[in-house]
Amino acid sequence: MTFNVLVQAIISGILVGGVYALIGIGLTIIFGVMRVINFAHGELMMVGMYMTYFLFTLAGIDPFVSIVITIPLMFIFGGILQKVFINRIIGTLPQNQILLTIGLGLIMSNSIMLAFTSDYKILTTSYSSASVSIAGISVSEPLTISFLITAVITAVLYWFLMKTDMGQAMRATSQDREAAQLMGINVQRMSILAFGLGASLAGTAGALISPTYYIFPQVGSAFTLKAFVIVVLGGMGSVIGATLGGIIIGVVESVGAVTISSDWKDVLVFTIFLLVLLVKPSGLMGKSRM
Amino acid sequence: MLKKIAVAATVLALAIPGAAQANKVKIGFINTITGAEAPIGENLTNGAMMAVEDLKKKGIDVDLVKEDDTGKPEKALSAFEKLATRDNVAGVVGPYTSACANAVASQADKYKVPQLVPAAAKEEITQKGYKYVFRLNAPADVYSSVMMDAILTLGKPQSIAYVYANTDFGISTVKTAQEYAKKLGIKEVANEKYQKGAPDFRSTLSKIKSLNPDLIFMVSYEVDAITLMRQSKEIGVTPKAFLGAGAGFTTAQFLAQKEISNLVFSSSQWTDDVNWPGAADFGKRYKAKFGKEPTYHAACAYEAMRIMAETAAAKGGDRDKTRDGLKSGSWKGIMGDVKFIDYEKFTNQNRHEMLVQQIQVGKYETVFPSKYATKKAIYPFAWK
Repeated sequence: MTFNVLVQAIISGILVGGVYALIGIGLTIIFGVMRVINFAHGELMMVGMYMTYFLFTLAGIDPFVSIVITIPLMFIFGGILQKVFINRIIGTLPQNQILLTIGLGLIMSNSIMLAFTSDYKILTTSYSSASVSIAGISVSEPLTISFLITAVITAVLYWFLMKTDMGQAMRATSQDREAAQLMGINVQRMSILAFGLGASLAGTAGALISPTYYIFPQVGSAFTLKAFVIVVLGGMGSVIGATLGGIIIGVVESVGAVTISSDWKDVLVFTIFLLVLLVKPSGLMGKSRM
Repeated sequence: MLKKIAVAATVLALAIPGAAQANKVKIGFINTITGAEAPIGENLTNGAMMAVEDLKKKGIDVDLVKEDDTGKPEKALSAFEKLATRDNVAGVVGPYTSACANAVASQADKYKVPQLVPAAAKEEITQKGYKYVFRLNAPADVYSSVMMDAILTLGKPQSIAYVYANTDFGISTVKTAQEYAKKLGIKEVANEKYQKGAPDFRSTLSKIKSLNPDLIFMVSYEVDAITLMRQSKEIGVTPKAFLGAGAGFTTAQFLAQKEISNLVFSSSQWTDDVNWPGAADFGKRYKAKFGKEPTYHAACAYEAMRIMAETAAAKGGDRDKTRDGLKSGSWKGIMGDVKFIDYEKFTNQNRHEMLVQQIQVGKYETVFPSKYATKKAIYPFAWK
């Protein structure tokens, strides 16, 4: 293995990790604010992918441009889901929450399957396999664009959470729901906001991955699992943690594939995952709650 | 007394329709209808349903009991047990995936229910001497050997790299490819398994690029093939030939990706331009009915269903007689000549002749064996 191959692996890993991070951030915000583990997260991403696909094929809108439509639509969708379903199980037993979100996910993927069949949809743009070669290292164009968009979204989100009143209210809710309520924060609205944000981030991740990946009703489950690993690795509820987690997973997968072998990369990912949890059970950026 | 006669008469009347219609036959069909493999499963369902319709025209009324295994062997097994004990089917067609078909095969002899595997390629399925297990399609070893035979008519490759899904089918296909390549003196330079559905192969591909093999042999399901080829182009991997085994390289969607699919070789159980009786007609009717090109799975399922139902109907739905009928019979249809024979390590295996196709200007062209060829193969490979 040459040095070039390793650099190539690291760069690809960081770029792919960016999209992973976006999925993780959505999940971590939902968990942070609502203490609900959203098992339908991958399915939300899948809905975003279908939106992107149809905006592209029917209206001719480029996948990267279409996120300005996908984000608000997914936000409304997430908000409605929270208001109608999730809201009823906040503060109940965790298994109720798990069953509800899994159920919602199944309904989403099966409705999509009924409506659009289980056929794979492939979104082919002029740049789907385009790359720029820099000193013998090829950098994927679509991945680079999606990484930049991810970076911008993460920065805006961070600013929103840190600097705005609403962001502070959200953080307060995630720190202590009752105390936040006593301080006059409308925690109901914060929950809707959080789920809406989570859904639109998942949808955006779906949109960003569409030009290089493929779309089918069951695509979500693989990403749900990945999102959990990222979130737990980074620390449940931490946005920075999820960003870090996503990029770490991306790089470990990629470097693992070239240094050991591609079918061992998951072993490597989970070994690192377990090691982090052994040393720091609350995750990289997580705070222990006890 | 009168009452008793009336009861007896009713019972008889109810029983007779079954007896009179000797051509009504109950067949089980295990397939992957939901789950990750569902998109391919759909092709099998379509093919089998078309067979049922055609059989009806011939006067064979198939009572089809469909079961979904979701791609999981344990579900396939329980579906098979249900078909064998509760539904009392005369025979079973399926399951689709190698793992499921293999699990069911291990139980077919126990229940004495004939099983006809339409499209699963794992060799083991027909290598254990099961009496009731039959397979229509060619096993995994042919996927690779037929392509290498085709390449040897074009040039002298020195080295080969393997990239494949770590499924039963992927692993067994590559294992046989390795054995065959070794026999031909082609050196192995890389062996990379991957998780099905992985979004990123770039690191693996750049490693392969640095090793510069003459051949890249890939086993991929559905759209993994597209992801692999897109990223190969991105990284600039350029072997003398890309050899694609498995479903992913023989789909209409792969074909539609003109920029990346051109000149890729693939092996297939079936194409609609081959001169087997009814193949072209099947392709045309399938397209009219379902609005898409039939894959080889559809053709395999169609033919398997036809053979199983015709045999079972001729034997009055008796399982043992159906089994004997499958063993002794021979058929000619859209899959060419079919006969279940014992050869080498196989039992009840149809020695199906596989085809090599190459994508040329947005079309699958059969390039090998030469008696079925529609175009000459283009070698070596170059990106468009």
